[in-house]
Amino acid sequence: MRVRLRFFASLRERLGRSLERNAPDGATVGAVWRALVAERPELAAMQVRFAVDEAYVAASHRLADGDEVAVFPPVSGGVA
Amino acid sequence: MSRRAACRIVRRRIATDALVRAVRDPAAGAVVTFLGTTRNTNAGRRVVRLEYEAFVSMAEREMRRLADEAARRWPVRRVAMVHRIGHVPVGEASVAIAVSAGHRAEAFLACRWLIDRLKEIVPIWKREHFRGGVVWIGAQQGRPSAGRARPRRIGRRRRASG
Repeated sequence: MRVRLRFFASLRERLGRSLERNAPDGATVGAVWRALVAERPELAAMQVRFAVDEAYVAASHRLADGDEVAVFPPVSGGVA
Repeated sequence: MSRRAACRIVRRRIATDALVRAVRDPAAGAVVTFLGTTRNTNAGRRVVRLEYEAFVSMAEREMRRLADEAARRWPVRRVAMVHRIGHVPVGEASVAIAVSAGHRAEAFLACRWLIDRLKEIVPIWKREHFRGGVVWIGAQQGRPSAGRARPRRIGRRRRASG
């Protein structure tokens, strides 16, 4: 199946706005991310969160063909 | 209570008077507002401005979800949340929250909870432009994330205004 990964902030600067990836049917979000990290080891240290359909999902979330996964670095935080 | 929550991402200066108007309610005895403003120093760096990026549609949805949850936790009347994206100069507000409630205690509690949760989960990222460089700020500590500070070209330095 094909899925699209969409990136933000520091991840977007490193990887571009989005990437299309092939993945086995029923692959989890985490498996798709790990496959990318295997090709780009510099990403391994990044703590990321995932969202599908504008809602956070766990790494164990199973994807369907055509799904778009938003991959986030940590959100802005800061001490106001 | 999404119907009563005005949650938006904006690219211009936050209109705080409109924010307060948005939570006006005849049953309210208190309106609490919070503004998060760009501070001129962070972690020993002289900050020139902050730059925010959002996953806009999801950020607005998450803010509405937080407003709904606040209304379940406390008897608040209305909630308005606005986050600015793009460049925010020192001294200007990047985020503003207004909460109206029958009494001040719950308005303060809800407002405090909303800003804390917003910073934890709403998909908005901050890039700090400081004298000598630029860095993405990650997590909740106000410290640079895994991406290291990147020096800027010499000669493009600007002075902090605040």
